[in-house]
Amino acid sequence: MKRFIPIFIVILLLAGASYFLLFNDEKEPKNALQKELQLDDFNKVRSCATLPPFLYQNGIRRPIIDLSQQRYKGVAFLYGPKFSKVLHKKTWERFDALGTYTIDKYGNIYLTPNPYISITPATFNLQKAIYKMDKRSGKLERWMVLDDVIPTANNPYGLISILYDCEDGTLWVSAIDKSDYKGGKGRIYHIDPKSKEIIEKIENVDALTLAWLYTKKSRYLLMGSALDNGLYAFAFKNGKVVKEARKLFELPNPKLHIRKIKVVGKNKLYLEAIKFTYSLIAETAKKQRTQYIAQYDSKLKKWEVKELKQ
Amino acid sequence: MKSEYKIAAVLFIVGMALIGGVYYLKKEKHSRAALLDKSDKKIIIPSDSPKIKEVQEYLEDLQKLYKEGKSVLPLEKDELDEKGEIAQSVALKDARFLSDTKADGKILHNDIMRVLPAMPSMLDAKSKTLCKGECYIVEKYNFVSNSTTRAIVDVAKRRVVAVKRYDNMQTDISNRLKKIAKAIALKSPEIIKELGHTPTPNELSMANVRTNLQESPCEEKHHLCVAPTFADHQKELALWAIVDLTELKLAAAKWAGLGKTYTPACIDERTLQNRYIVKNFCQKDNNVSRDGWEFTYHLTGSDGLELRNIRYKGQEVTRSLKIVDWHVAYKGLGADKLDTSTPTIVEGRRVEFVKGENNEYTFGYNDAMGCPMFSTSVVLAFNGPQIKPIIQKGKEAGFAIVQDFRNPKWPMACNYRYQNRFEFYKDGSFRVVGINLGRGCSNKAIYRPVMRLDITAGKKERFALYQGEHWREWATEQKYQSTSKEPLYKGHYLYRIDNKEEPKRGFYVEPNRGQFHDNSRGDHERVFVTKYNPNEGDEDLLTLGSCCKLDQDGIEPYLSNEKIDGENLVFWYVPRIQNDDRPGHEYCWADSTIDEYGNPSVKLWPCIVGPKFVPIKNIDKEK
Repeated sequence: MKRFIPIFIVILLLAGASYFLLFNDEKEPKNALQKELQLDDFNKVRSCATLPPFLYQNGIRRPIIDLSQQRYKGVAFLYGPKFSKVLHKKTWERFDALGTYTIDKYGNIYLTPNPYISITPATFNLQKAIYKMDKRSGKLERWMVLDDVIPTANNPYGLISILYDCEDGTLWVSAIDKSDYKGGKGRIYHIDPKSKEIIEKIENVDALTLAWLYTKKSRYLLMGSALDNGLYAFAFKNGKVVKEARKLFELPNPKLHIRKIKVVGKNKLYLEAIKFTYSLIAETAKKQRTQYIAQYDSKLKKWEVKELKQ
Repeated sequence: MKSEYKIAAVLFIVGMALIGGVYYLKKEKHSRAALLDKSDKKIIIPSDSPKIKEVQEYLEDLQKLYKEGKSVLPLEKDELDEKGEIAQSVALKDARFLSDTKADGKILHNDIMRVLPAMPSMLDAKSKTLCKGECYIVEKYNFVSNSTTRAIVDVAKRRVVAVKRYDNMQTDISNRLKKIAKAIALKSPEIIKELGHTPTPNELSMANVRTNLQESPCEEKHHLCVAPTFADHQKELALWAIVDLTELKLAAAKWAGLGKTYTPACIDERTLQNRYIVKNFCQKDNNVSRDGWEFTYHLTGSDGLELRNIRYKGQEVTRSLKIVDWHVAYKGLGADKLDTSTPTIVEGRRVEFVKGENNEYTFGYNDAMGCPMFSTSVVLAFNGPQIKPIIQKGKEAGFAIVQDFRNPKWPMACNYRYQNRFEFYKDGSFRVVGINLGRGCSNKAIYRPVMRLDITAGKKERFALYQGEHWREWATEQKYQSTSKEPLYKGHYLYRIDNKEEPKRGFYVEPNRGQFHDNSRGDHERVFVTKYNPNEGDEDLLTLGSCCKLDQDGIEPYLSNEKIDGENLVFWYVPRIQNDDRPGHEYCWADSTIDEYGNPSVKLWPCIVGPKFVPIKNIDKEK
């Protein structure tokens, strides 16, 4: 038996060489935005957001929150027949242009900024903050400043999207500063509004918009990417977000980026998309946006994305 | 040697050879995939279009046709059967079919693209009832309006049964245009360079594949584009040549993997250009060394094209040259009725209003120029910087580096186009030039480019203004509004930047009074001299001041009465231009028109401003 030792050694050597050369593939660079995700059926879920009492007191019931900056700087509420009436205060202009909002279960409105058309010495600082409109007084204040958000002349954007989490009363806020031609260096912050503490952070993702999607078994944090034309989802495991975005689909037009996501029916999403190049040509009015309906076939695990002609 | 050792040795050699072979094959496959990924990102942007015989013949035919008073280029006979010829001839006499072939008396470029027997699926119910005999479809494409017109012709009765126009629709192209597209692709130097050889027509496929989807390469301009491809099956790659048939040139080319689910047609020409610009001119510095001059240059986020560390024959002459802003102001009457309680937006930009005296007001914008992506600009770099020789009296006198900036929708109203041009002469002089190519929102515009010129004349610099008989040196930071009528030193120079200890080192500044033979109406400038402060524009400067306060240029906050005699100085030069749209007198203006071939084109009346810097020793050597 001893005489076969050299043969055994060679076999072992060959096995080792085979493993290292043929089966031990170089690890692919981790790319948080790669793998496609397959979902179960999903549907609209009633939001916990309530109408701010100050609007109710002003006789406003179902307003449109106008952040288009076309007619009103900051924020305005359009209401009444054909939304012809407007509630807008001069003090709501003090933080310049605002881009997205979310409403909590008490009626407080949280807003994120948006650099718009021209830059002033204050613009970059304004992009670092989350703004809050008080549910009772309607007073708009700089609610929380995130110091590691640093817009520059090469990327004037900072905080860009915000979403309230009805399950635990927290906020999810995305920032896309620091990103450049070489890639996304954005973050999604998970914030506790009571303590104003950052609970967790998802890094290296540029979310132009955030939204919730609920299936029967689980929920997902959806994001429209500022870097490409894809819609991505973060899954949750044991109540904690899995920090790896998985692609659901891409828009047919590669130049467009999803700026608004809404679940509008069973397995159906409504999307608004804009051209976005991290420069100041920002489309804010609805007519400047391309609208899509994305229909999901849960049996075939396939999406069909169709443009809505305006 | 024992047999076990022999077996082990053979086993080892054979095993390693096998593993090595499999490893090599695997690596080869992997590297091909990597090559594919790399190639997928490679975009080829053509420079100048070569003269191509097929294109020239086509243009000559168009001119000949227009001279005959006809407006639509018909299909050639080899593309028609007998009945098709009749159908084409009938359609070309039909007023409805031809109704979009002229505008303001000018012929618009229209080609018949196809003539074919009408299939039932092409006919609506009414046409079906009218088409008792044999009907033909005649389709033409309007290159100006990007629309297709279809005539249904009853060949037997020789009459047009119906005419339908499809806006923003492109039909299949004619064989002639297919041949032209092939010729453009085959003869483009960029394609030959990419392929590594002069391709033959057999290597081409899909010359008639229109990129007519929303994602087409010419989507922004609504041009007719096709995408012939050259397949390399060995490398599993294809080179896509995106040909613009409206402009008759190669728009772009791109490598893509064979069998990819997407094509380069998914990316438009402007996006390709933008990526190229950002990668090559925004993300990195470039160097120039020519005619004794050396400098680096790059595109900024909002300060246009910046040239840095400029040396002439080894000596630094400027630290930085750039045009940081264009202030655009329009004059209006009726300030008392002006409502500024809500913002006014024109073409997506917020308009600033400034009320003045005598019921007048000014309104306008601050335009920052810069990189097309990742920037704070609204007037975006269009193509990369270009270096061109300066020819004077038939001789090369130096060179210029030029960068074009445009609003994407220029020359439509309220869209702008500017150029930054830096001229360098062999004698050591240089000129900083701002060019406005219209068109703006109205005819009462005042444009003010803000030039930041960090001239270097040694460590102890000083500034002087010529006042008739003598030069007055400035002791502190200040500004000066030129009357444009001051006497000039030696008939040319109004300002001087030199070295306190070495007076012959530095420059005389020659303001533009229209003497540069470029149809300029002068600079009418205001100048500022400030002590160098890195926070005052050495890095990217955001929009400065107000567009519309005509008594301010935005530099005023930097004037803090600091001592400047013997310091490191920055010279700010702000020309003031009034545009003009009077026929025959246009200035700072642009207009859309139709060219001799019936295609859309733009007519330009540029206004050119900026001072020239001439070395003191060149001028005072005569003393």
